[in-house]
Amino acid sequence: MALRELASLEKYLGLKKPNKFSTQGDKKVPVMQNNNAPPLVGLVTIACHLVKEAKRPELLGDSAEGRAVVQQWLEYRVTKLDSHAKEDIKSILKDLNLYLQDKVYLAGNQLTLSDVLMYYGMHSIILDLTVQEKEQCVNVTRWFDHIQHQPGVRHHLPPVVVLRNRLYTSRHH
Amino acid sequence: MSGVEDLTILCFLGITKESIVDVEAMVRKVEQKIESCSQQDVELHIERIFVISQAEPRLPLQLEDAVRPDGEGEEEGRATVNQDTRLDNRVIDLRTTTSQAIFRLQSGVCQLFRDTLTKKGFVEIQTPKIISAASEGGANVFTVSYFKSSAYLAQSPQLYKQMCICADFDKVFCVGPVFRAEDSNTHRHLTEFVGLDIEMAFNYHYHEVIDSITDTMVQIFKGLRDNFQTEIQTVNKQFPSEPFKFLEPTLRLEYTEAVAMLHEAGVEMGDEDDLSTPNEKLLGRLVKEKYDTDFYVLDKYPLAVRPFYTMPDPSNPKYSNSYDMFMRGEEILSGAQRVHDAQLLSERAQHHQIDLEKIKSYIDSFRFGAPPHGGGGIGLERVCMLYLGLHNVRQTSMFPRDPKRLTP
Repeated sequence: MALRELASLEKYLGLKKPNKFSTQGDKKVPVMQNNNAPPLVGLVTIACHLVKEAKRPELLGDSAEGRAVVQQWLEYRVTKLDSHAKEDIKSILKDLNLYLQDKVYLAGNQLTLSDVLMYYGMHSIILDLTVQEKEQCVNVTRWFDHIQHQPGVRHHLPPVVVLRNRLYTSRHH
Repeated sequence: MSGVEDLTILCFLGITKESIVDVEAMVRKVEQKIESCSQQDVELHIERIFVISQAEPRLPLQLEDAVRPDGEGEEEGRATVNQDTRLDNRVIDLRTTTSQAIFRLQSGVCQLFRDTLTKKGFVEIQTPKIISAASEGGANVFTVSYFKSSAYLAQSPQLYKQMCICADFDKVFCVGPVFRAEDSNTHRHLTEFVGLDIEMAFNYHYHEVIDSITDTMVQIFKGLRDNFQTEIQTVNKQFPSEPFKFLEPTLRLEYTEAVAMLHEAGVEMGDEDDLSTPNEKLLGRLVKEKYDTDFYVLDKYPLAVRPFYTMPDPSNPKYSNSYDMFMRGEEILSGAQRVHDAQLLSERAQHHQIDLEKIKSYIDSFRFGAPPHGGGGIGLERVCMLYLGLHNVRQTSMFPRDPKRLTP
């Protein structure tokens, strides 16, 4: 799963030469072979490295605060999202929905690595939501739909259908 | 009718709540309106009071609790009554204003059904409920012992409606119990319910049947809207819901269109698959959003998912001349043009692996001249539930029957 993400990320970043990935441990932590240096371990580490390799530093944040927020969401992805239990889904969606109430992107005013990796991480959750559930966490759905339509982001993942109009009024049970 | 203050006086006299009393009183006008009573401009000054029937002091449930909306109960810390308690003490529960309104409205539905169809030239028939063969397909029948052998309780009046058409009655309807031994414990299934069934011969196209049925439904909706507003408002006080919306003429979509709408909304299903209940509900929402109606018809179902007596679509063998009707996204009627040719009927039955011997008298009825015909049946309780926007069919069945309930 993480390997396919990293491959998609490479494509998005326009990196011509694909890197060599493998996994270690039963949690399948991704490892990247780095020619001269020791191998890089961990999704976030590798992803940040790839961004630097592609010379796209703006994807990591445009200010000190922006960079901190990006790192925060990258950490959220790996710690909270990747090992979530079924019962946590509701609280994850609630937290995200509240956070995204007044934001287009997770950090700052443009697409960053945090949006991309959170999109990959949230995909399986959003895919399984019913239309009604998607309407209930409307900000998450709006953000998700926006990111999945960004050119070059969605490679290995099927698109999730998001309807334009609300089907369930607020009075629906 | 007395307010709470007056009840306390009666209790003081030793008259228990819910007792039946005869009262001789002077009717006097009041200066200020009495808010808590249904008659707000007058009061009764009691001169003599007789207790006709004394109620036992401890009631199994309090009527004020039984009409309290669920939300209010939680907020103010007051009691509401759960469904099982209501159903176990149905006689008291039926006294609530909400129950009275629901069942008066239900009576209205029956009345409108009969009146509308009679005006259209339909004849009311009575069909037997003890029958020798399962009509809808083996699994869900109740068996009764019939002298030295067994018989079944009718799952629908289907076969007999059709036999009446073959008996030159042209247009018939019947109102009667339907028995389904389905072990379904859902909000919308009962083991016994009242079926309102229609069957009619048509002249050129089975859409004449659809038009007749939808027009009947629209007349019922209009009749309820125009003559039962008090009842609808009373029910809404305890169970708020959106008013029921319908279009004239009734919206009719084709099955393929519906599948396309569902695909567009991200649902994965095959073109010839039946609609699952969640998909039906989602489709209802999509239709409501697009056409602003709570009532619509879905025409041309795939042949594979319909009973053996459904007429296949002459222009496309994968589909059939059959239709379902929906209220608020839930199915209320399943109907079709029937196979009226004995030969074709036998073939279709064999295709469905039904023993021809068991349905011999049914097939025989088409051997001596049978007009093309079609029809459908609705459940009275389900229609009332969905019209009022309620969520459990037991609320609209006076003494409901389900796999776990046989009394009262």
